[in-house]
Amino acid sequence: MPMVKSKKKKSKKEATDGEEGGEVEVEVTSRRRSDSRDPLTPEPLDPAPQKKKKKKRAQTIDLEAEHPDVPNGDMVELEGEESAPVTRKTKRKKKAKATEQFSNDLEAEDDDIITDASSPIPQQSLFSAPHGHSQPVGKVFVERNRRFQAERIEHRRHSEDEYMDPRQIWTTRDVAMKVHSSFRVLGLFSHGFLAGYAVWNIIVVYVLAGEQMTTLQNLLQQYHLLAYPAQSLLYLLLVLSTVSAFDRVNLAKASMALRGFVTLDPAALASFLYFIALILSLSQQMTSDRINLYPTANETLWPPGSEQQILRPWMVVNLVVAILVGLAWAVVSTRPDIDYTEEFLVTMEVEGYPRAEDNLDIPA
Amino acid sequence: MLQTGNFSLVLLIQLTLLAYDLFVNSFSELLRGAPVIQLVLFIMQDIAILFNVIIILLMLFNTYVFQVGLVSLLLERFRALLIISALYLTLSICFHCWALNLRWFQSNRFIWTDGLQALFVFQRTAAVLYYYFYKRTAECMGDPRLYEDSLWLRNIFTRARQ
Repeated sequence: MPMVKSKKKKSKKEATDGEEGGEVEVEVTSRRRSDSRDPLTPEPLDPAPQKKKKKKRAQTIDLEAEHPDVPNGDMVELEGEESAPVTRKTKRKKKAKATEQFSNDLEAEDDDIITDASSPIPQQSLFSAPHGHSQPVGKVFVERNRRFQAERIEHRRHSEDEYMDPRQIWTTRDVAMKVHSSFRVLGLFSHGFLAGYAVWNIIVVYVLAGEQMTTLQNLLQQYHLLAYPAQSLLYLLLVLSTVSAFDRVNLAKASMALRGFVTLDPAALASFLYFIALILSLSQQMTSDRINLYPTANETLWPPGSEQQILRPWMVVNLVVAILVGLAWAVVSTRPDIDYTEEFLVTMEVEGYPRAEDNLDIPA
Repeated sequence: MLQTGNFSLVLLIQLTLLAYDLFVNSFSELLRGAPVIQLVLFIMQDIAILFNVIIILLMLFNTYVFQVGLVSLLLERFRALLIISALYLTLSICFHCWALNLRWFQSNRFIWTDGLQALFVFQRTAAVLYYYFYKRTAECMGDPRLYEDSLWLRNIFTRARQ
């Protein structure tokens, strides 16, 4: 590296300050002439050595600033110019040793030589690595499938960081998927709880109603406290189960949902069953409130002898609801892993819309 | 770019409001000891629905897709939620006004008519669809592509200009 060599020169010259002969002076003069071509540094004829040194440093820094993309701070344009003086300087060093016995009456010129060969890089050993900072280019070449491919170094560094730091992987999409999977667990619990609760509810109602519904008064007296809370809980569980079933079939994508219904997909079938059960259950809200108000009821609300007329459809609908939710739970249980919305969330990033960074991989 | 922490916080708020809405829909009929209780519950429920709609709209406005002017793309994706939210809010307000009007002077009386029953069924059914679409949209808003420039967005933008 020319810079290092010139720096070595400087140290050597400092050691042999004021001891060099006339030959050296000639070389330095030619060197100075080439330097004086530089328009940035108009030098006085005989300046002080320290000032010259400072000027040279400023020159070097300026040139480096002009060529920031060159590795190690070297300047390609100057390589040809620098090589010749360096060989001359090594020669000059040998000659300087040979002329040690000469008098130092040409001290000013020797100072010039030292200043001319000076470098802003501090003194170091001959075989050490250069101090210039490497300036990496924008691409690295990675061997893939027995060939090298260019890759953006920022992209590669980013992927390495992701590998090193797992927190970087936690994106908004992962948060959404975590929420979705948590709700799926809740829905799975809701499916089973709703099926069991509906079956228990209808068994209690039929037991209280007695054989051939002969004890409906007993049912009203015993069940009126439970009627409204049972209806509310049924609605809550039905909502959770229905939303979970809709999630499984990805109802928002109409084509996918329709295909599921046509092919009798378990998730689509369960969604349909839950939705029918929900509407049937909601339609019994009036009767449930009527049962709830049985103790305080007057004859307009519960006319005498109207119990069977009011309660029979209510019991049948509750039976149908229990069968539907039981069937839906059984259908969901056959394929509990189906979740098209989750698949949609997972593939959302690559499906049809490639990201910009993916397109930056340029084959070499 | 949407930060993960911010998105988690917004998602938590949205799900909390949804949970409150579900709670009121499920158990408001049980909490009718005094008409003012239902009044407060219903007002808060309607405000929660409104807040949820405002939050989702703000999130839509915050996307890069919206900022570059591709509103049609967002509408195409989230039109169902906006329609169902508006429908559900309307049905809820109507049902709340009707039920409270009938129960205001005597909270524990039988108020059901065929019309109120039909409105109740529609409101509660719309609620289920609202929960589903809202939850799905809130999750879809975590899509990182909505918040940054990309090739597919440029393609859509070029297509839209043509």
